[in-house]
Amino acid sequence: MTETLPPVYGGEILHVHLDSGDTEIEPIDPDDARRFLGGNGFAAKQVAEHVPADADPLGPDNVLAMAVGPMNATPFQSTSRGVLGFVSPMTNGFFDSTFGGTLPRAQKTTGFEVVVLHGRADELSYVRVHEDGAEVETAQELAGLETYETCQAVREREGDGYDTHVLAIGPAGENEVRYACSLHESEIREGVAGRGGNGAVLGSKNVKAIAVTEGSFEPEPVGDLRERSIQQMGRLMADTEMLQEYGTAGLVNPINEMGKLGQRNMQVEQTDPENAEAVSGERLEAEYVTEDTTCANCAVKCGKHVSVEAEGITQAKIPEFESLFGTATLQEVYDIERVIKANDLCDRLGMDTISWGVTVAFARECYEKGLLDDDDSPHLEFGDADGLVELATLTANREGFGDELAEGSFRMAAELEDAERYLYGAKGLEFAAHSARGLKGMSIGYATGTRGGSHHDTRPTLQYDGNHDETTEGTPEFAARSQHFTALGDSLTQCRFVSEGGWGTMVEENYAEAINLATGWDLDVEAVERIGERVYNLERLINAARGVADREADTLPHRVMNEPIPDGPAEGMYCPPEELDSMLEEYYAFRGWNDNGHPTTDTVERLELEDVAEAV
Amino acid sequence: MELELRFFATVREAIGASTARREFRTGATVREVLAELESAYPALEGTLLDGEEIAPSITVLRNGTHVVHFDGVETELTDGDRLSITPPVTGGDG
Repeated sequence: MTETLPPVYGGEILHVHLDSGDTEIEPIDPDDARRFLGGNGFAAKQVAEHVPADADPLGPDNVLAMAVGPMNATPFQSTSRGVLGFVSPMTNGFFDSTFGGTLPRAQKTTGFEVVVLHGRADELSYVRVHEDGAEVETAQELAGLETYETCQAVREREGDGYDTHVLAIGPAGENEVRYACSLHESEIREGVAGRGGNGAVLGSKNVKAIAVTEGSFEPEPVGDLRERSIQQMGRLMADTEMLQEYGTAGLVNPINEMGKLGQRNMQVEQTDPENAEAVSGERLEAEYVTEDTTCANCAVKCGKHVSVEAEGITQAKIPEFESLFGTATLQEVYDIERVIKANDLCDRLGMDTISWGVTVAFARECYEKGLLDDDDSPHLEFGDADGLVELATLTANREGFGDELAEGSFRMAAELEDAERYLYGAKGLEFAAHSARGLKGMSIGYATGTRGGSHHDTRPTLQYDGNHDETTEGTPEFAARSQHFTALGDSLTQCRFVSEGGWGTMVEENYAEAINLATGWDLDVEAVERIGERVYNLERLINAARGVADREADTLPHRVMNEPIPDGPAEGMYCPPEELDSMLEEYYAFRGWNDNGHPTTDTVERLELEDVAEAV
Repeated sequence: MELELRFFATVREAIGASTARREFRTGATVREVLAELESAYPALEGTLLDGEEIAPSITVLRNGTHVVHFDGVETELTDGDRLSITPPVTGGDG
């Protein structure tokens, strides 16, 4: 057992009580560092310890834990991510959403590995974090401001320009749109913690922004992490060439080519090449990209800015691939300038483009099938680009039909007869772009994912390379081990693209070497993968205690289990209920979970989770 | 036989076109097609094949399906097939 905390850790957790403004500093137990590593793992432990199992996600008993990893602010490549951990108002379960930029590095230098916001401020406020602690600053003047405006206003109030690193919510967060996000605007790129409704949680706490000022802590890796990172640089740059040139938007064309890119609320999964081309990374790069942007300590520079003169848009964040799925192909909207406008609005208003887009597409199919009509909204025709833009503002402000969209597709479906068959998501969260029908690993991965509809539990990357995309053989184990990989990566807070491009798409020796160089530990690959497995099981324990994780919850939507892809290269693919049942049995057995999908006592003991199992 | 070729992202940049129709020997394999393309377009030299195998920096689809689901680099193509060549497809951000 580790006796002391490695000097790569700042060593403390900062608790901020929003109602009183009081703060407490808690030392990090070295054994917790060894068990949970940081980031995702640390955030999950805070949620397990501090959020009662019956707490309302939008009530004061929820927490928002902002965590960094052991290698933030070290030479280890692209450990520039931060993690927000909370109970989601979408899923009512544990959620972690990550973001890039410069704030996570700044937080690391304060010495606080985790900042935990408790309770609820009496008035609209922002939280100032620095190496001596934090203050809760009343800031009523920020009410109603967009995300970028809020970041700027807080920077001006603090008076240190971009040396104040700000994460902010927009009107959607203040209005508790259930999938409201938060946005960090740094000097070198934006970072969006997109999913799960973290912006709504902050809004419910009356927190408009978190502002971090750099401190003096310098993490000290035990070994030569810089040299080890340099060794991976060639592989990293070669394998991320498309991201460097086109960002994630470069995925539109090839995934459409595979016939696995949802259109018309997933009624079909391929469009004409001309339509895909119209909203592709190639077109964005040729006609709209004005500059590359990057997170701290990253050579890949996958971020881009776009400008659209006709829309009055200058240097907006490029729509990511997932956003192009949600706001373009799923809507059958191929007017890229209107799509950019809708995305820019979502960023400014502070809404997750995936959940919002899938929810709008769901509503549009309900309209097509006669469950909604023009009295509900005049903007519900597939292909209506102008209507899409209108709906963004209505949703963020909860005006008219936007108030229903703001609840997400699952809550809308509960209010409409026969609408559940048009849902595309799991556990209350809309799916990302990677086909639940066309990729078998995603079928079981989404069904068992802590977050439901996230593509950062089980990853699609290896599946697009022909592994576990068309077969169920060995796929449950693959999905589980991919979940270990993502939980480990989010605990390291390393950017997924850099992990997958430079270090490995599953947990492998490279990661063990880097972690050992950083910490001085002597972990083998199995022990490192076990960290990811432990974190994933901790998340499952939280969700089981909240009643949102069991065999009944581990399911897929009607269309995915009953309607094969109708045409294209992936024609005939789906995941019928008996296939899902079979994969679930294999998955639970691999994990050491009982027939109801809960970790057994032996599994809890094997993963050294007895204390947190008791806490939840 | 004639194949429809589609190029994406950096592969498209190297070729300078998004699509092409091109004649190949009847029964040509993926390896032969990639080798011919490397010869025809100097900017592609050394980028499509890694020795006898498909280079790890590209993905090849036959009529939308990854060629690993056929015979990989040995896959024999037929007249009218669509061959798509793209950089590796990753998992997206979010």
